[in-house]
Amino acid sequence: MSLVTTLSQVPKKMRDVKTYIPFASASLAFVVGAVILASTDIDVGRAYTTMFRGAFGSIFGIGDVLVKTISLLLTGLAVSVAFKCRQWNIGAEGQLYMGALGGTLVGISLLGAVPGLAIFLVMLLSFIFGSLFALVPAVLKVKFGVNEVISTVLLNFVAILFISFLLHGPLKAPGFNPYSPEIAEASEMPIILPGTRLHAGIFIAVAATVGVYYLWKTKIGFEIKSVGANNNAARYAGMNITKSILITFAISGGLAGLAGGLLVSGVQHFLIEGISPGYGFIAVIIALLGRQHPIGVAVVAFFFSVLMTGSESMYRSLSIPTAFAMTLQALVLVFVLVGQLFIIWLNKRQTGRRLDLKEKWLAK
Amino acid sequence: MKNITIRFGEVTANNNVDFELRKGEIHALLGENGAGKTTLMSILYGLYQPQAGEIIVKGQKTSIKSPNDAMTLGIAMVHQHFLLTPPHSVTENIIVGLKESRGLLINMSAAEKKITQLSEKYGLKIDPKTIVGDLAVGEQQRVEIIKALYRDVDILILDEPTSMLTPQEEKALFSTLQSMVRQGLSIIFITHKLREVMEVSNRVTVLRGGKVVGTVNTSETNETELARMMVGRPVIESIAHMGYSSNSPVVLQLKNVSALNNANVMFLKELSLELRRGEILGIAGVDGNGQAELAEVIAGLRKVQKGEIIMDGKSTTALSPRKIRELGLAYVPQDRLNTGLILEYSIAENLILDRWYFEKYSGRVFLKKDEMKKFAEKAVSEFEIKTPGINVPVNSLSGGNLQKVLMARELARNPKVLVVHNPTRGLDIGASHYIHEQLIKQRDAGVGVLMISLDLDEILTVADRLAVIYEGKIMAVMDTKDADVDYIGLLMGGKESAVYSKKEEAQDRK
Repeated sequence: MSLVTTLSQVPKKMRDVKTYIPFASASLAFVVGAVILASTDIDVGRAYTTMFRGAFGSIFGIGDVLVKTISLLLTGLAVSVAFKCRQWNIGAEGQLYMGALGGTLVGISLLGAVPGLAIFLVMLLSFIFGSLFALVPAVLKVKFGVNEVISTVLLNFVAILFISFLLHGPLKAPGFNPYSPEIAEASEMPIILPGTRLHAGIFIAVAATVGVYYLWKTKIGFEIKSVGANNNAARYAGMNITKSILITFAISGGLAGLAGGLLVSGVQHFLIEGISPGYGFIAVIIALLGRQHPIGVAVVAFFFSVLMTGSESMYRSLSIPTAFAMTLQALVLVFVLVGQLFIIWLNKRQTGRRLDLKEKWLAK
Repeated sequence: MKNITIRFGEVTANNNVDFELRKGEIHALLGENGAGKTTLMSILYGLYQPQAGEIIVKGQKTSIKSPNDAMTLGIAMVHQHFLLTPPHSVTENIIVGLKESRGLLINMSAAEKKITQLSEKYGLKIDPKTIVGDLAVGEQQRVEIIKALYRDVDILILDEPTSMLTPQEEKALFSTLQSMVRQGLSIIFITHKLREVMEVSNRVTVLRGGKVVGTVNTSETNETELARMMVGRPVIESIAHMGYSSNSPVVLQLKNVSALNNANVMFLKELSLELRRGEILGIAGVDGNGQAELAEVIAGLRKVQKGEIIMDGKSTTALSPRKIRELGLAYVPQDRLNTGLILEYSIAENLILDRWYFEKYSGRVFLKKDEMKKFAEKAVSEFEIKTPGINVPVNSLSGGNLQKVLMARELARNPKVLVVHNPTRGLDIGASHYIHEQLIKQRDAGVGVLMISLDLDEILTVADRLAVIYEGKIMAVMDTKDADVDYIGLLMGGKESAVYSKKEEAQDRK
């Protein structure tokens, strides 16, 4: 059997060089990261081993990786749903905080102590809080044409400061620290892997991933996707752009809100300032790298979670600042984006002739 | 310029074109949209490289590879859309890219002085210190012209310079041009307006379909002759007209409809129109006279400011695009790449773009994949769409096949009214013919077809009646079979006394 026929049995995607470019780019980021580490006289081998061990070396580490994946995955999905509609929601962080507030309110109320119902209500209210908060920039956009990039970025600060205000005032539990009261036990997500912090929220995150995957096969998903792909064509075909934008933001904010609710109900069990180390911001990178595809987002979210968890252990045992993890994330982003430019260039070269024709036709 | 030929894919934009500019003349380059005027001048300005032919400037055979080369040879072009940076001053805009603007310190006052001198010399009134963004369109154009003069050019190409000017600004421009040629400059003036040619040029070269029809001295010609040269005779064999009947019911009626264009200028001015069942009504006119606005107003994509639209007895004036479609409209927009289709979508997805919510194609929540597939396969075989499959993104299809996808979707609506805008633009002859056949089939099935087209030949071949649109108004409506091309040409050029001059001409013949 010749090599050609063997190759042709491999799915086309696997044969295409372009499939591997993102992975190669990500690896290059680690090479540059190594150079940075080496330049500060750190043993690169030991640093990367520590990072790997921190993430996978113990059951606790693995649990922690998955816990962080929950937050990154939900916010990553949130942002990617919005991006798919070409709505630049950079406000996942703020929506996460509002979701955390919604969850907390249920958890500390009487309803929060009702077994079974409590968890459901915690999730529901965190989704709704995130959703409603995301609808603020959405309504501003469709009613007054306010650019959503600016409004969502700014509303992050509004949400974070509003939570601070609550924790220093009306929502403050007795004691010195600006914490909310602890939520009732019935509102806590059960731990599913003893000896770790991994909680049942992982199932919600997986369900959300599947849900987003199927969203694009629904009627409303088709409408949203079309508005994002070409709102001119969508309008011409009789789609309702305003409705699509509002629904997009509602879903997006809701998913980010869920991430917040799960941080309270699954990890912290009360609301604090800085409950998220910027998951909603990293989510933007995750959505971009995952190319807004739920599976892609899940893979990247997991990968980033490994980076974050690993870098914490690098800090603990080698005193390498956690800023290095952020540096690595940024490097991965830059390299993968450049890699995508490379892919675009390759595509252009392949279909160059046709594109050329089209442009010239348009220019006429 | 000798024997210039340039092809874009299968379209020959300039075919063996000869063009000659004498020193100190204003030479008008006249032709309809897509006649190849701008392409020819873009070659002279170094924006395109011709596949054949040669360019001789001041007796020297040259090759112009870029606008920089053109500039060195003393050739400058003022584009239809200005290339200025609004927040900067006139002087800054003019000297940008020149030696004077390099280095740390820029000698502004020297530049300003030179600009003032130029503006006095040619009567181009301008204050060099003003911010360009604050200037009126006519003044911005002056800046563009001074920008060229500042670079010591002696050949100036103006691409449709009057398209955005008020009549007063236009007058000022013409007198400037006159004074420029008196000082020894040579000017090429691209236009499709007959009146301007007569008013300002010394000689005129007419292009049609990428070929030169002829070059004549302006003093020895008249508008009627130029119109005939520009528009030409129908070249395609006429498709038999069904014999439109004036008693078939009106299916679409526009009553004094006014609408704004994208720049918020009232662009449709109390336009009235009647489309009957079982006819093809062609809308002829020069591009930018309200055709796009007309189509969009009917489709509900543009707001009606005044007036009323009635389709099949119901007012659609304030309805959403979806409601209007549901009442029986199908619409094939001219911009099939950016409005009619979503290029990254597959054929199957594009085909349900307007009907994703129909019970046939979706359940309560999910789209029905099988139904989409069935529909797509049927469309591909019925419309002979050449494609590797129904799931490939349509951006891999040729222009003709894209248009077939679009037509397949719109015709599958079983419309009462079909609006098509430039339905065969950019298509090859085979695909064009196929589209025309489809339109006639629709007409024969009783659909009212409104065909807006820049291609007059197309209208004369396919349409039963035609209306001429000029500056957002219908100038005249007539039966195609007794339409007079010269007369249409005059109407398209906005010659308001067209009726009169036609009579006059008839008398002259006697």
